[in-house]
Amino acid sequence: MSNQTSNGVNQFKKLLTDTYLIGKNELLIQVRNPLWLFFGLFQPIVYLVLFSPFLDGIKSAPGFPSTNAIQFFAPGLLMMNVLFGASFAGFGLIDQLRTGFIERIRVTPVSRLAIVLGLIIRTPVVMITQSIILLLVAVLFFGLSLNILGLLIVLVIMMIMGITMASLSFTIALIVKDEGTLAAITNFFTLPLFLLAGVMLPISFAPKILQNVSVIDPFRYAVDASRALLNGDLANQNIPLAILIFIVLGSIALNWFILAMKEAVA
Amino acid sequence: MANIIEITDLRKNFPGKGKDKKTAVEAVRGITFNVQEGEIFGLLGPNGAGKTTTMRMLCTLLQPTSGSASIAGHYLKEGSGNIRKEIGYVSQVGGMQRGSTGRENLTLQAGLYGINATVAPRRVKEVIELLGIESFADRKTVTYSGGQRRLFDLASGIVHRPKVLFLDEPSTGLDPQNRAHVWEQVKKLQNAGTTIFVTTHYLEEAEALCSRVAIVDYGKVVAIGTPDELKRKVSLDLDESGKITLNDVFLKLTGRALRDIE
Repeated sequence: MSNQTSNGVNQFKKLLTDTYLIGKNELLIQVRNPLWLFFGLFQPIVYLVLFSPFLDGIKSAPGFPSTNAIQFFAPGLLMMNVLFGASFAGFGLIDQLRTGFIERIRVTPVSRLAIVLGLIIRTPVVMITQSIILLLVAVLFFGLSLNILGLLIVLVIMMIMGITMASLSFTIALIVKDEGTLAAITNFFTLPLFLLAGVMLPISFAPKILQNVSVIDPFRYAVDASRALLNGDLANQNIPLAILIFIVLGSIALNWFILAMKEAVA
Repeated sequence: MANIIEITDLRKNFPGKGKDKKTAVEAVRGITFNVQEGEIFGLLGPNGAGKTTTMRMLCTLLQPTSGSASIAGHYLKEGSGNIRKEIGYVSQVGGMQRGSTGRENLTLQAGLYGINATVAPRRVKEVIELLGIESFADRKTVTYSGGQRRLFDLASGIVHRPKVLFLDEPSTGLDPQNRAHVWEQVKKLQNAGTTIFVTTHYLEEAEALCSRVAIVDYGKVVAIGTPDELKRKVSLDLDESGKITLNDVFLKLTGRALRDIE
């Protein structure tokens, strides 16, 4: 092997090792605090129990896109969990900035990319774990019927979405360095994104003007794709659309995070 | 003795917020000096003098506005990756993860410096024994006292045996016993061949540890030399034949007293 290729291979191996070290460390912290997993699940389960039954009352209304309440609501609930869960990834980072942990990592020879990937990896892992538990509850207690292949693709979309939202949250955290400001900015963006995505009620029920605005809500495509996939409509065009949208947004967000990590003044 | 750090006209400006030029800060305004291999070099100065900013630039955590520096043969910017391999840095606040034990923190640190998983436990054990911190190494760092945590901070800076160790206010907030203990460990490290670059407010610390000292004020070096040289220089202007401390030197050179900060 030429010097250049073996150098490249070594650098790649180092990237994997460093990402693994930081990622494992983050997951260890998460696992030591299982309460957070529980709290993350509490809200979606409350929505399942206290809200989704309402939808049975309107399932026969014209334009209702699913056969019953749970088939309509569960896919959107999964995406909603990712939107709100991953958007708060940055909070932990502010605390780590304050204790000097981030600076401690930044002074080591670990690449900035490895730091970024290591910090992010916890989000998709937690999201997938929570989703599997939520789906089990929906299947066992609410009669949700699942397309298995569709489910696998939904998990992929969730991962990409989770990485996107977490990257944005981390980046803003590095810039504002204050939990209150981060919370205000996060809520400012996530609430309209959520309301225009058709999670709680079908978008077709909204007035034309809101339907038009929802066209620029990337989250709406994730919800539509999720609904199509879990219900077995695998040819739905929202699926490749959602994947494409979040790969593009995710790349931009990830790059932004890497830049912020290079410049970060703790 | 060869120079292991060479700093040439290093500057750092922080831009002001918005259009208000008044909040822009020239934190470091042209600093030039060298640090010799194997010495303990101290940077002294009041709050806002630019000590921590200088140190963070040398540790590759902050981009200089202009000027250059080489550490262990590598230049800032192009050589930052290599510099990081050769240095250790202990910030004022440390960086221990509260939910992990001291040993776990050090093991992670060893891994980040590329010490492989078979060698790391042994290296961590060595450092723990060197600093005498075995008795609490396996408790979560959130339970540590200030002194215990500072010792682990020190440990995390040396686990990879760096050529240069940067210590930012190593004993701020420590009681006299812990402070003396930290000094002892720092001297041990120097004997083992590490060059040590310290910023401090405590003049007794500078006198106790440092072979040479640079006094900075308003982002510039106002004096540099061994503590004795500086005292001699000042005693020529003061008519005292009595004992002169670094505090007198500082008073003379900057016109205000250093405040000891907790």
